[in-house]
Amino acid sequence: MKKLIANYLVGAALLVLASTASAREVDETIDAASDGHVDIINISGSIDVYGWSKNRVEVTGELGNRVEELILERDGDKILVKVKVPRNNSNNISSDLTVRVPEDSSIDVSTVSADITSKDIKGEQVLHTVSGDLIAEPVEDDISAQTVSGDIDILGDGSDIDVEVNTVSGDITVIEVSGSIAAEVVSGEILVRDGSFHRATLNSVNGEIDYQAGLRSDGKLSVETINGDVDVQFSGDVSARFDIETFNGDISNCFGPKAQRTSKYTPGLELSFTEGSGDGRVTITTLNGDIDMCN
Amino acid sequence: MSDRDDKLIAEANKLSTEISPERDLWPGIEQAIKVPQRSRWTPRLAQAAAVVLLVGASSMVTWMATKDQARVIEVVPVDLVFEQASFGGRYALGVGYQEAHRDLQAQLDTELERLSPEARKEVEENLAMIRGAIGQINKALTEEPDNALLQELLVQTYREELAMMKRVGGLTQHVMSREDI
Repeated sequence: MKKLIANYLVGAALLVLASTASAREVDETIDAASDGHVDIINISGSIDVYGWSKNRVEVTGELGNRVEELILERDGDKILVKVKVPRNNSNNISSDLTVRVPEDSSIDVSTVSADITSKDIKGEQVLHTVSGDLIAEPVEDDISAQTVSGDIDILGDGSDIDVEVNTVSGDITVIEVSGSIAAEVVSGEILVRDGSFHRATLNSVNGEIDYQAGLRSDGKLSVETINGDVDVQFSGDVSARFDIETFNGDISNCFGPKAQRTSKYTPGLELSFTEGSGDGRVTITTLNGDIDMCN
Repeated sequence: MSDRDDKLIAEANKLSTEISPERDLWPGIEQAIKVPQRSRWTPRLAQAAAVVLLVGASSMVTWMATKDQARVIEVVPVDLVFEQASFGGRYALGVGYQEAHRDLQAQLDTELERLSPEARKEVEENLAMIRGAIGQINKALTEEPDNALLQELLVQTYREELAMMKRVGGLTQHVMSREDI
């Protein structure tokens, strides 16, 4: 019996040792086109992608000890960076990588359970993860960021780009971006601050929506939430047709007429008016929530 | 009164006051009263009509929901719907919506199996949250069936449900398939 217990303990110790074995360092480089495309795939861990002035892709960081290999290969203008893992074993595959790419590259980053950060990339960006946060600082080009469970933070440089972001559970923060934005969240808050838009579509099921940015003269702002307050603070003048309605909540506005009750039997309020020449369009609706609007 | 009139009256009096039918019609009438009338709207015909209506309406809603486009909705009377998603008390979304919902749910279920228990739980909780919101709006719409805001929010929330199922299923599939490169 003692021998059996001893064997068990030795086995357990070996297992612990195996699982805590140190991750492997990686440092690899490959030549790349100055404005090519880089695909990056890492199932678990983290990915930081930076643009730089060199025509090379460099991968540094640590690979999980069960990772089979790091694939870094070129096919024409395309570069593939992939952490190859065993098909049926997801233990100890977590890899933390920093990837430097030519700054004009477009990138597509896919992970399952990993945070993604990108910075100084001038090409188009597509970022996907299932469980993890996405932080990006796009420069001059469009970005699409999707996560199921995690926050999304986009910090622009003020240039006009298209931003498409959605998360199921998490907050979305978009700062100093201009152009167009489509943001969607099921449970979480949306904050859009600074910048000016010709089109902004913000939807949430449960969560507040906060818009503190400009709306261009023919711009369209559409805000819709089921359960959550809406706060719209326009920076600068706004010229638009406004249609605002809440089924159960208050509307307070510092310009335009006062909101009217939709029915004497229900607590809903609605407000419709035109400000300026009315070139743009602002639509705000909520089922349960207060709406504040000012400039 | 003239002789001519008297003659006409006398002739008229000779006529029978009853007209006997050529055959006895009662058995037929009696049977018609006792046996329930069969409408030209046979179940098969009604079903076909309903399917035609529902395909049109649901295609519109489903197209809206999955293509993220304009908010126009056609609805059909609830008594023509066999399998329905409620739209207030009076209307329902039909077969097209149900099919899209079923397909996306199947895809989602498959993809959820591949996620960690935590991520799966989070998705399921959020889906339940959307469905709770649908129930909430439906309830309000039952009390105020003509409320345009509620109708718009309900359509939007149905669309959001399908979009989320599509997005999560698609995203997971996309990310997982990248592993096979």
